[in-house]
Amino acid sequence: MLGSRSPEELVKERMERIEKAIDLKEPNRVPLLIFTCGDILRKYATGYELYFNYDKTREASLRFVSEFPVDSLGVVTAAEGFVFSLAFADYPDIAPSIRFWSGPMHDALLDRYTRWPGRELPEDSILQFIGGQFMDVGEYAKLSDNPVAFVNEVILPRSCVNLEKPGSVKANASLIKLGVEASRFLKFLGDLAVDLARAGVPSLPLTFAYTPLDFIGDFLRYPTGALLDVRRYPDRVKQACEALVDPIIKIGLSLKPAGAKYAFIPLHLNEYLSPKLYREFYWPTLRKVIETLYDQGIKSLVFFEGWHDVHLETILDLPKGWGIAYFEKTDVRKAKKILGGHTCIMGGIPPSMLLQETPDKIKEYVRDLLGEAKPGGGFILAPGVADIPKEVPLENLKALIEAVEEYGRY
Amino acid sequence: MPSLDELIEAFVELDEGRVLSLVEKLIVEIPPPDILEACRKATVTIGERFEKGEYFLSELVYAGEIFRRIMDIVLPKLREEVKPIATIVLGTVEGDIHDIGKNIFKAFAEAAGFKVVDLGVDTSPDRFVEAVRRYNPEIVGMSGLLTIAIESMRRVVEALKQAGLRDRVKIIIGGGRVDKYAKRYTGADDWADNAMLGVRKCKRLIGLEG
Repeated sequence: MLGSRSPEELVKERMERIEKAIDLKEPNRVPLLIFTCGDILRKYATGYELYFNYDKTREASLRFVSEFPVDSLGVVTAAEGFVFSLAFADYPDIAPSIRFWSGPMHDALLDRYTRWPGRELPEDSILQFIGGQFMDVGEYAKLSDNPVAFVNEVILPRSCVNLEKPGSVKANASLIKLGVEASRFLKFLGDLAVDLARAGVPSLPLTFAYTPLDFIGDFLRYPTGALLDVRRYPDRVKQACEALVDPIIKIGLSLKPAGAKYAFIPLHLNEYLSPKLYREFYWPTLRKVIETLYDQGIKSLVFFEGWHDVHLETILDLPKGWGIAYFEKTDVRKAKKILGGHTCIMGGIPPSMLLQETPDKIKEYVRDLLGEAKPGGGFILAPGVADIPKEVPLENLKALIEAVEEYGRY
Repeated sequence: MPSLDELIEAFVELDEGRVLSLVEKLIVEIPPPDILEACRKATVTIGERFEKGEYFLSELVYAGEIFRRIMDIVLPKLREEVKPIATIVLGTVEGDIHDIGKNIFKAFAEAAGFKVVDLGVDTSPDRFVEAVRRYNPEIVGMSGLLTIAIESMRRVVEALKQAGLRDRVKIIIGGGRVDKYAKRYTGADDWADNAMLGVRKCKRLIGLEG
């Protein structure tokens, strides 16, 4: 579907389309973005190959965009690794390179956060982030006092088998291995962006940030542990969230000199919290992160995982045009009504629908959805945050792409 | 001597400290099954608050934790097992090792009077089939967080059909990414994307008021 346009022209056109939507304007067509953690790419390679063999991932990604010409493809064949970035928050040359945690990085440190195909899981599965409880409730004060030192000195030795004895030969060798892998992974990401651009598909220039309470839930106390702490030790949790803001912002700014424009922030505990708890424990520090980055010229791409309905209004606290709100289960039509003209809305396609419905039904769904979500611009169509299952029939994905062409034009 | 109504109220309000001190006092004179019945009543109200949008997942997690701590006190005093309203064979399906949702559901299903046989995570179709043979449950509950879980759920339904057991059980699927499309795709009898709805639907599946 390159038509008569060169890949360079296509990249320019698609990027403009996306940027216009982010700037709350009407592009020539609603952009279609796909993020994948690997599930859909297993049509072309096993899970093990995707996470451990970067060449296979490049090949699979290129095959995907040649069959399904989307406006941008975000390939995240790596696990949540923000804790490792935070450990090196004071080193902007290191921190972003280990934010996404690849299979070989797992091999280097043997972290207990993640499980991998061909390692702890069968070869053709997908990687899983499990997290764990690596911090005692009595340690909040130490965390608040110096989060970076605490993560380095206390958390990593507990959460990584190979770092159990800091300073040991094994621990030092593992960190060197990690460094080697991090530079290989960075090179892969760069090469992949070049390959995709040659195929006419732009990549969003991303940097990374996190919500402080999610950091506590995902990497230190386990999600349920963090939720119980909110009840039992509210002051300790609040103080720790405050302390995490600065290192998170440092990481967010680390890729600014390299041209990063959007900070990727996945949310996890948002749907667990009542509006009251959300406003008290979650939103103030997340808001500070988003606003500080915005002041520095970086917009945020926030994945509002699960249901975010009851918290939608809080997004209006942010400055107009702050970034992209990517929704999973929250109805994007409803979000557009509340946030239209203020926030770029992204999402709209339940992955399970792609799995179960016929091509005709999918087109109808897209037609109806765009009928409501398209007017006025500021809208990006995307499948839910949770990836597209490998078993989705090819004709259903084709129907999705055709439907955007057909009904997405302005 | 405090009353069971006080216990119910404290539990519904998620006043952990008060709940535990009340249970410690009540257990001296009140038969354990009566305390469990009070807990069941409390969890019904908690469920109603959840469905009305007054409580959220964080309240369910906290309620599950409070219930666990009550059970730590009550279970050792229980002389004979309380007859369950039905048995649920429950597991996170193959390829998925997440269990937060499954565990919340389990706590509330038990509080509602179900016996829950928990197969853990990454449960293969064969293990579901084996467990259905062994425990003869009324309900099979499958949980999953990842998108790949939907395919695994379909395979369990298929395996139960192959084993000739499909019609002996009701099947419900649950999890954050489960919906009406997933129900149709997997061939399950019902679906729920939150624990409280899951428990209510389980009751309905066996003909009780949900």
